[in-house]
Amino acid sequence: MIKTWELDPNFKEEIMNERGGEHLTACFQCSTCTLGCPIIDYVPSYNPRKIIQMSLLGMRKEVLSNPDLWVCLICQTCTARCPQDVRISDLLGAIRRIADKEAEAGNIKIDSSRPIFDKAFQHQLAKYGRLYDMGLAKEYYPKREGSFFKGMMAMMNDYKDFGMRMFKKGKMGPKAMFPEKVKDLAVMKKIFEEMGEK
Amino acid sequence: MSVTKLAYYPGCPSDATAMEQDMSTKAVFEKLGVELVEVEDWNCCGAAEVEDPELVYALNARNLAIAEKEGLDIVTPCSICYYNLERSNIALKADDELRAKVKGIDSALDYNGKIKAKHVLDVFVNDIGLEELSSKMSKKLNLKVAPYYGCYIGRPPETAFDDPDDPDSMDKLIELMGGEIVPFSQMKTLCCGGPLMMTRSDIAFEMAMKILDTAKSAGADCIALACPLCGMMLDCKQADIEKALHVEIDMPVVYITQLLGLALGIDANELGLNKNAVDTKDILGKVV
Repeated sequence: MIKTWELDPNFKEEIMNERGGEHLTACFQCSTCTLGCPIIDYVPSYNPRKIIQMSLLGMRKEVLSNPDLWVCLICQTCTARCPQDVRISDLLGAIRRIADKEAEAGNIKIDSSRPIFDKAFQHQLAKYGRLYDMGLAKEYYPKREGSFFKGMMAMMNDYKDFGMRMFKKGKMGPKAMFPEKVKDLAVMKKIFEEMGEK
Repeated sequence: MSVTKLAYYPGCPSDATAMEQDMSTKAVFEKLGVELVEVEDWNCCGAAEVEDPELVYALNARNLAIAEKEGLDIVTPCSICYYNLERSNIALKADDELRAKVKGIDSALDYNGKIKAKHVLDVFVNDIGLEELSSKMSKKLNLKVAPYYGCYIGRPPETAFDDPDDPDSMDKLIELMGGEIVPFSQMKTLCCGGPLMMTRSDIAFEMAMKILDTAKSAGADCIALACPLCGMMLDCKQADIEKALHVEIDMPVVYITQLLGLALGIDANELGLNKNAVDTKDILGKVV
């Protein structure tokens, strides 16, 4: 049951003010996005149409704390098929960014390791300008597991066979231990300071 | 043929998991007489992990500005890099305010919208053209191929260069090389699961498995693809998928640039065919 007194009438404007969220109100609830989504075979509760309707109604807290936000593949199938050009893939990205800010502020809890991963990825770019796999893994796993030791164990478990396989093919050698850096690191720093998540 | 020189954007996996894609892209363009000039000191496009579009635009404004100074269009073998570069290009071209904001960060981001970013497949099929490619082919590929397009070739509409439901640029190229396309239309544009590999590997593995299994049931000798994240999932991780899901697949996965290289008569090692995780020897035996 929807508790009307708990609805946030400003939520749709909040989403539409985020880049990617602009087309929210064009949705007419046809469900093409949901029926064509490849994730629903694995996560039956996943329903972008419902997320949009709840957003339009102002169910801010329910939308932002929905763990299904974080299983979107950004594969653009919904965006390509939407008859109303809602750009659902970008829209969900906008909602995820609001959710992430709320989680950072301690207002909600996100039941997914994806924000941790995305941030760890961005930290590599801010520091080196390119993806540094080893640095990413060293930040992501301990944060996901809640301790350095558990993180290292989880990383070993995921990477022992894979690492050996890549090593044998000459794709992961001593060179992979060190980051590949862009020369103009000052500009990377500026980009993330000006545009990055604060 | 009008293309003689392009700026080359290799992308982050080019010196690691997708080495063979980088090697084969360079070798193929050389053979075709197209000079590639690497985007000097390029930075990461933001991949799928940078969700803020403005941050993506700023990151790619720098890459685009570097190529623009050379007066060259950018070509990249990675579908995600292509999507990020070209959507940034479109957004920056259309929005003066955005361009000014991005330029305000640093003069290195001063991009004037004079170039385009392109995917290698688009350049092969639509710029160089099948006729020109055919005239340079010296080998026939007696292969049954499952052409896998993934996400960013036919989607989203602004940057797509092929059909969202039934893309055929790779099909045409494979048939031109003598290959046979196996029934694979339902899998062609289905996501490989890559973006969830690190956070929901259970789902990602199942998704990749579906693609691999369909190719196998269809009797394919190999899957052809055009994105290093798809390559990571379907090739590099194939043994992990077999182990986790208790299945045996053993399906060779190659980049379209590697197949094209073979048809152009380039040496297999120069195309990095010894670097694909699943052995490609059986494929090489069918190139005549």
